[in-house]
Amino acid sequence: MGGGAMSAASLPAPSRWWSRVATGALLPIALLAIWEFLGITTGGGRMPLPTRIVREAIILIGSGDLPLAILQSLGRVFGGFMLAAAIAIPLGLAMGYSRAVERNLDPVVETFRPIAAIAILPLAILWFGTGTAAAVAIVAYAAFFPLIVNTISGAKNVNPTLVQAATTMGLKRLTIIRTVIVPAALPSIGVGLRIAMGVGWTAIVAAELAVGAKAGGGGSGGIGQMMFVFYAYSIELNRIIVCMIAVGLVALLLDRLLRAGLRRAMPWVST
Amino acid sequence: MSAVATGRDQPLRAPRRAWGAIVYVRTMFVFALVWSAIAWWTDKSILLPSPLAVLQAFVDLARDGELFEHAGISLGRMAISLAIASALAIPLGLTMGLHPRFERIVDPTLEMLRPISGIAWIPLALFIFGIGNALPVFIMTYAAFFPILVGTVAGVRTVDRRLIDAARTMGIPQSTIVVRVVIPAALPSLLVALRLGVALSWTAVVAAELIGAPSGLGYAVEWYRELLATPQVMSFIAMIGVIGYLCDSGVRWLNRRLTPWAAGR
Amino acid sequence: MTAPASERKAAKLRLDRFGKRFAVTGAPEVVAVDNFTLDVAQGEFLVVVGPSGCGKTTVLNVLAGLDSPTSGTVAIDDRVITAPGPDRGVMFQDYALFPWQTVRGNVEFGLRYGPAGDGLDEAQRDDRVRRTIDLVGLNGSESKYPHQLSGGMKQRVALARLIANEPDVLLMDEPLAALDAQTRIILQDELLRIWGQDRPAHERRTVVFITHAIDEAVFLADRVAVMTAHPGRLKALVDIPLPRPRGDATRALPEFQALTQHIWSLIRDEAYRATVA
Repeated sequence: MGGGAMSAASLPAPSRWWSRVATGALLPIALLAIWEFLGITTGGGRMPLPTRIVREAIILIGSGDLPLAILQSLGRVFGGFMLAAAIAIPLGLAMGYSRAVERNLDPVVETFRPIAAIAILPLAILWFGTGTAAAVAIVAYAAFFPLIVNTISGAKNVNPTLVQAATTMGLKRLTIIRTVIVPAALPSIGVGLRIAMGVGWTAIVAAELAVGAKAGGGGSGGIGQMMFVFYAYSIELNRIIVCMIAVGLVALLLDRLLRAGLRRAMPWVST
Repeated sequence: MSAVATGRDQPLRAPRRAWGAIVYVRTMFVFALVWSAIAWWTDKSILLPSPLAVLQAFVDLARDGELFEHAGISLGRMAISLAIASALAIPLGLTMGLHPRFERIVDPTLEMLRPISGIAWIPLALFIFGIGNALPVFIMTYAAFFPILVGTVAGVRTVDRRLIDAARTMGIPQSTIVVRVVIPAALPSLLVALRLGVALSWTAVVAAELIGAPSGLGYAVEWYRELLATPQVMSFIAMIGVIGYLCDSGVRWLNRRLTPWAAGR
Repeated sequence: MTAPASERKAAKLRLDRFGKRFAVTGAPEVVAVDNFTLDVAQGEFLVVVGPSGCGKTTVLNVLAGLDSPTSGTVAIDDRVITAPGPDRGVMFQDYALFPWQTVRGNVEFGLRYGPAGDGLDEAQRDDRVRRTIDLVGLNGSESKYPHQLSGGMKQRVALARLIANEPDVLLMDEPLAALDAQTRIILQDELLRIWGQDRPAHERRTVVFITHAIDEAVFLADRVAVMTAHPGRLKALVDIPLPRPRGDATRALPEFQALTQHIWSLIRDEAYRATVA
């Protein structure tokens, strides 16, 4: 979303970046001010207010609790992500390259794809308990499907003339897969990685929330669990909101970092 | 390569579908066999019951109505959520798409909220609504809201601005323009967004019900897990998958009916 | 039509009563090429010309080993062609450059990963790549990616990639079709230079070149094979005795015009029918 097309009747779009920022900041600042005002005049001591949220954020970051929780969650996300990629990418390449492989494995993939990761969580808890193993398994499951779908698409949509060119140069089948199919599929795989990362981060928050709810706050760590503890035990609404904002910021940051990383890894993609 | 006459694919459509179904059944059968083998080998029915046990549990749950009761509750919640989300997102999206100044003011706020997934709202929502019907509906509405909004705005953008301006100068009231021109043009994009909204909303229902509802499929999965009744757990998970698939197919069918010129895959 | 007996012994490529049919469900068989017999001599620049759909690309594919005949044989050096190989290099209409490789990466691709590079150590490979890039006139562009190149430059890269493998035979499928008219003329000159029209005949490589542009055919070729469509057949073999090396002056010669007109008259009816059929 961003600026749209202009009609002749309204003012021309502000071209200076600061005036764009000012317009954009107008509404949030106004809302925050109203919120603060209402809270101070009518609400009780526990009511979440912008100023209190900022204060709690400083406390949580300063004490190291928030950064630690985020790192714990990120660690699990990366673990699950790597696991999913290790299976989904080779499998997806094989399925994209060979119709026979795809025909036989696709039913299994398509049967489980509609079942969201969070639905599998109770099963994961049953199998792995309420610790990190279950969380990593959920992230891996969630990240698996966008990765494999996009990898298959990437391998399938390789320009056949490229494969022909390599064939006429006398390359062997396996070499062609390694030197032509894989690089050609890379942009699609990149898209899959980005989607999988987003899905994985959402999944870890959900998993940790649910585990926190079931394990009675027992230390499995992570930001989801921290949020639940703030809800169920200390009823720190301001801190819950700090966590929510952190979840959103980390999601944005992960996507930006991944996009930048992908751009560096694929300098030939002319975006 | 040389150009060959393309009569190849047409006559094969009907038998190809039947062959596809056969391959599907064959693969799932092999899958079930592998599953049975592992289940028999580990011999811990709590961890991995045999496929037959799960099938039996599924049939029993269906027969005494429990399966459909929870499914109905979850579906009902999703229907309400989608209705609310659409009622909020579509008018907002139309306004944003048609009035760029309005969009410039509102958009940054929305963009700040969007990365915070519906699931992150659960603890706060639990505090506000407590455990009950309202919580899942709130979370699902939130989850569906953003895709529908984005899709509406994108759909409005596809309309040629000059057509709208021309209609305005002819004195046609804005409401008529919106109904007759903008909405039909935005429909394909909106329906695609609806598909995503349904998917996200259905995912959210499970998370929300797992943690904060006294009924529904998510609740049932968790309930039976605490009883260590794995066949039932798997049955309900399967049901979640089936309904998710059916809903997606339903929206895709809607796509094809309402906007046959745009429906692709 | 076959060449005299003395030339047959020296044929580099031989198509002997080559035919190709395609089975199509629900429709009668398509005969792409029928009873095509042609010898290509070592070092000859042969151009195949004909209207759209006459099977020229099929002939090329079969020589490349990407397709196989349904009747007749196709051979190189008296060996039947069964599969693609680095002895027959192919240049495609859409360049087929690997987008993730630089110019350098593309040119050395066949040497690095294919059999053409066997027996070359890294230094020798780099040397050959450098010389080839210099030959096609792309010095200074080694680190660019295909999307940063113009059409003409892309074609040079494709040619360089082809030549670096030092194939015996160059097969080219309408390589200049996607270029604008001016770039085309320049590249025609470049192609002849790179092929070696300034060098003695025995140093040149064998080329089979497909085009639908008759002036291009006459400018480049030693002989032009004229094909007709439905089914694809060899209608005529026209010798092009224009002196080498050829250049802009050649295009102005009256013989050039005459040959062009002659070939056009051979395919004009077919070409017309192809647009109305």
